[in-house]
Amino acid sequence: MNDNNQISTEELLRMLFLESSLDHLMKREGDSLTFPAFSEYISALCERRGEPPERVIKRADIEKSYGHQIFSGKRNPSRDTVLKLAFGFGMDYEQTQELLKVARKSLLHPKVKRDMVLVFCLHHHQTLVDTQIALQEYRLPLLGEGSKNE
Amino acid sequence: MSKLENSMEMIEAAFSRFGYPEDFLNEYDQMECLSGHRGRETFLVQRKKDGRQAVAKCYDRSLYDLSREEDPLKDLEHPGLPRYLERYENERFVVILREYVEGTPLSDLVREREMEQAEILDICRQLCDILDYLHSRPTPVIHRDVKPENVILQEDGKAVLIDFDIARTYKQESDSDTLVLGTKVYAPPEQYGFAQTDARTDVYSLGVLLRFLLTGSTRKNRNIHLDPALEKIIAKATAFSPADRYPDMKAMKRALQGTAPNARKLRRAGIILGIALLCAAFFFAGVKTYQYMNYSPFTEGSVPAYQSDPEMIAEAAAYMKEEYGTDLFDDTEELATVGLIRTVLIDLYGFDRDYVYGINTDMPQESPDYFLPWGYDDGQLFDRDPMVYVAVKVHDPSIVEDWSSLKDDNGEYPGERVAMAYAEKHGILEGANRPDDITVGDVALILYNAEKSFGK
Repeated sequence: MNDNNQISTEELLRMLFLESSLDHLMKREGDSLTFPAFSEYISALCERRGEPPERVIKRADIEKSYGHQIFSGKRNPSRDTVLKLAFGFGMDYEQTQELLKVARKSLLHPKVKRDMVLVFCLHHHQTLVDTQIALQEYRLPLLGEGSKNE
Repeated sequence: MSKLENSMEMIEAAFSRFGYPEDFLNEYDQMECLSGHRGRETFLVQRKKDGRQAVAKCYDRSLYDLSREEDPLKDLEHPGLPRYLERYENERFVVILREYVEGTPLSDLVREREMEQAEILDICRQLCDILDYLHSRPTPVIHRDVKPENVILQEDGKAVLIDFDIARTYKQESDSDTLVLGTKVYAPPEQYGFAQTDARTDVYSLGVLLRFLLTGSTRKNRNIHLDPALEKIIAKATAFSPADRYPDMKAMKRALQGTAPNARKLRRAGIILGIALLCAAFFFAGVKTYQYMNYSPFTEGSVPAYQSDPEMIAEAAAYMKEEYGTDLFDDTEELATVGLIRTVLIDLYGFDRDYVYGINTDMPQESPDYFLPWGYDDGQLFDRDPMVYVAVKVHDPSIVEDWSSLKDDNGEYPGERVAMAYAEKHGILEGANRPDDITVGDVALILYNAEKSFGK
């Protein structure tokens, strides 16, 4: 089981570092399709999963009232907050890219080391706490310490 | 976390292969990739020691020629421009760091809220000042990439023009540099005599930007009526021939200043504009358009307020069905995709598959070597202008390949612009009012009009 996971991690990384997938990522980023509002998207996700936003907000380690403002569309989250929400939802790599796209934030990128650690952690369904520990271990800014732009 | 350690080794190995300057990586953490073009990537970075954010542009030296001597952008000092911070380099990359400007790009702002006309004019006047500063440097700097994504509005209402490129020589085909590079530095006019023309490239872009902010569309639309004074300014700024445009930013700013009415006048103009819009909408598109009136063209996922003539679309779709025996045009309200256009070209008009699917992957561009001007994957939505390009090219490719009628070189799809000019003259645009994200019905209508015009 572990071996299988290991192989798929390597494959994921190989896929991400391949030039062709780089192009693929950029093309996806360049798509001009319209998306639903971020708050509607995450609210609908909660509804579909039958999970109240509070639980997601808690797992994403976002301050409660700020979290509710994001869900109600009163605040625009920063990229780091969107990423924390991805962990709150227990999303995988593809789902997180989709979430970033809806939030109109830069996608996880193979040439950004911090993004790659996040890709790894998402892929292995690590909790936010484990992910922060990993980032700290590799002396990379923790989630919440980057992209102040909302 | 042993799995992570394993993967980290791979990540580190891949990173060393990228080859960014080590002193840059020691000083800064890369946080996001803001944009990536071949050999030219832009990252949001954060200084390790104090968390200060900056924008780093990394240029691949094998593609870009960056000599240190000629870097006039380094000395630019204007509150409407991001400050130059520092430069790192090794044998593979040159990395230029500029101040990170906090605020909202206009492209996001128009989606988030409606902008008042007075605010839009204020932003455009600020841009006139910034561009005038650039154009009047000892070596004039032409931005060449003035667009909503590149204008940041700060909280205090100050506009900042971002995305400078210091790369002046792209080592590949030199004729494509106007497309590839956002910024180009030209010698002073007295020396070469053409710098003036290029300042007017930015005049043109600012005119398009102004129209976009006011109407939500970059092209003129018959069904949207602007304040006549503003319409005149935009028409002059975006004139086909640079000689007909404002000669410089100062002149354009003066014209914009002349449009600042007092609040009462503005309210009255707003009411009149509203009534005019309503009447025009009823007149041109019938009651159907009423359903769309409540949508703002800026709201995400909304239906554009301007629609093509439904009767003409029905006629065109019926013609295409009968002529070609196809069901591709049955659902005229469905959004048209690149995939649909490709199917039409291959199945209906008999073009070669490779010719239809071939695109320039480095840079979207028109070419006799492939049919479409752009279109990465089949799911992408299609716009009116490239559709007109397609419809004309189906019948006579030589029309879109001959750009000699164009007097300017603003780098924007010349074939498309030639096709649009031809289409307007020959009735191919008749009834096709929807500019962006066109429908299957629009595709049928433009193809039908073209067939009539070319006498098929």
